[in-house]
Amino acid sequence: MEGRGQHEEDEERRHLGGSGLILRRDAAGSGGGGGGGGDSDPSSHQWPTVDGPLGLSEEESVAYARRFFLWGFALLPLLWAVNCFYFWPVLRSRPSSSPSSFSRIRPYVLRSAIGFLVFAVLLSSWVLIFLIGGEHLFGPVWQDLVMYNLADRLGLAGWV
Amino acid sequence: MAQDPDSTPSLLDSLGEEIIRIVAPVSACMLLVVLLVSTLSSSTSPLSSLAAAAYSDPSSSSSAASIWDKLSGALLSSLVFIASVTLLTFLLVLLFYLRCTRFLKSYMAFSSFVVLAFLGGEILLLLVTHFSFPIDAITFSLLLLNFSVVGVMAVFMTKMPISVNQGYLVIIGVLVAYWFTLLPEWTTWALLVAMALYDLAAVLLPGGPLRLLVELAISRDEDIPALVYEARPVEPRPGARRRLWRERRDYGTNSGSNANPSSLGNMSPVTDERRDLGTNSSLNSNNSMTGEALPETRLVISEQESAGGSSRSELRAPLVQTQLDSRGEGEIEGIGLGSSGAIKLGLGDFIFYSVLVGRAAMYDFMTVYACYLAIIAGLGITLLLLAFYRKALPALPVSIMLGVFVYFLTRVLLEVFVVQCSTNLLMF
Repeated sequence: MEGRGQHEEDEERRHLGGSGLILRRDAAGSGGGGGGGGDSDPSSHQWPTVDGPLGLSEEESVAYARRFFLWGFALLPLLWAVNCFYFWPVLRSRPSSSPSSFSRIRPYVLRSAIGFLVFAVLLSSWVLIFLIGGEHLFGPVWQDLVMYNLADRLGLAGWV
Repeated sequence: MAQDPDSTPSLLDSLGEEIIRIVAPVSACMLLVVLLVSTLSSSTSPLSSLAAAAYSDPSSSSSAASIWDKLSGALLSSLVFIASVTLLTFLLVLLFYLRCTRFLKSYMAFSSFVVLAFLGGEILLLLVTHFSFPIDAITFSLLLLNFSVVGVMAVFMTKMPISVNQGYLVIIGVLVAYWFTLLPEWTTWALLVAMALYDLAAVLLPGGPLRLLVELAISRDEDIPALVYEARPVEPRPGARRRLWRERRDYGTNSGSNANPSSLGNMSPVTDERRDLGTNSSLNSNNSMTGEALPETRLVISEQESAGGSSRSELRAPLVQTQLDSRGEGEIEGIGLGSSGAIKLGLGDFIFYSVLVGRAAMYDFMTVYACYLAIIAGLGITLLLLAFYRKALPALPVSIMLGVFVYFLTRVLLEVFVVQCSTNLLMF
């Protein structure tokens, strides 16, 4: 376990070294003396992405979180879901104990989560109504809307 | 710092873990193709497919056609395919040489979009029709749109969670492999054998396009725009840190450049890239750690060097060196070590393995099991050869040859035996 911690710390250092953050973080770590939760202690550094040290650095995370959030509005709720999955550590950490950088990522991820939930509720209610209501509810329109009939009519399934 | 006494078993652990991380997605891809083939093949007739139309051979017509006719038709079709693949690969090499990287990348993104949206949509539609699942058109198109756009983004454009990226690559492999299984039978087998031979030639011969491509990429220290599955790097054992390659350029290339025949028009070539191994400077270490599908260079970097030669690194260096020598690079054709030490396998290998198993599934499940074991064994052998030879080796030949051989043996010999035993209630 400690080997792993050291490994993480090393990786983090390498990773952060590339993005130029290492000096500040180390200074904060040594200066802060381990106070303030996991932020200043490099061995328990929290990565914003679910990939951990292989994922994004924190600056990039903010950019990506925002980009995923905005693109999700183009009828792409799956992107919101991916956003939540990707930044799961941000979503899961409590605001008090998380590093300051998470607080910039958090609003986007939260809004993506809410958007995805709303969309999922709407979509699943529509699907259930369609499935269960069937012809009783819709009348002959049901036959026109259902996919397999549409595929037959338009000959969509033939070209593979 | 004392050397960890259990570093020896952990070497095997991590090696096993890495192999599992490559064998698992290959197996998942094959499983999905087998499932698709077994549910859908009963409902589609072999003549209605576009693939059959492009590669019609006498076997699809009356069964009275002689063996020779079928064979010659199949060979001709596969030769045409190989020729187009070669041309396209040379074209790719040319474009890469002329540094048209943006064009290549956008073309790859476009082709993945076509595969995911059109082929994926087709197959989803076939499934929906087969199971008569009452989904409506609006939901279907919305889901398909989401699926394909996020897929293109995951594979080619942005940084996405590694699992999402890997999942989409496997899905693309499944879709293309399913499409290939729609070819007529003799053509499929001839194609598989021809692709294995082509792979062997293209990677090992000095004039081979794949070899040229790899060498170009290495010399320029660039990445080839292609679909490559990269496994997550295994955490180094405590005390061992990362594997380091210092100033070493070893390339593992994998085969599998597939280009769908251009005659079909709506399919675009999907080229896989071989994995290269290269050394990187320590400054690129963070890139290497991101484990993206398009790393700058696949090399394991000396972390110790980047850390500025701390005392820890000095101590670690001899450990790493021995590991380096003992492990080999694990580059197998298609499998190679990424800059973060992860294994990469080109998507073409996924596709052709799955085509073989899918075609075996069209006969019976017994052949599926036999071919699956043969392919995994071939993969292991290729890994071994790679560790032994330490240069780019093609991943297709060993597995495909073993798989084809085992398929025909099973059909001819094993099946009779097993059926006789089972019908006489003799279990073993």
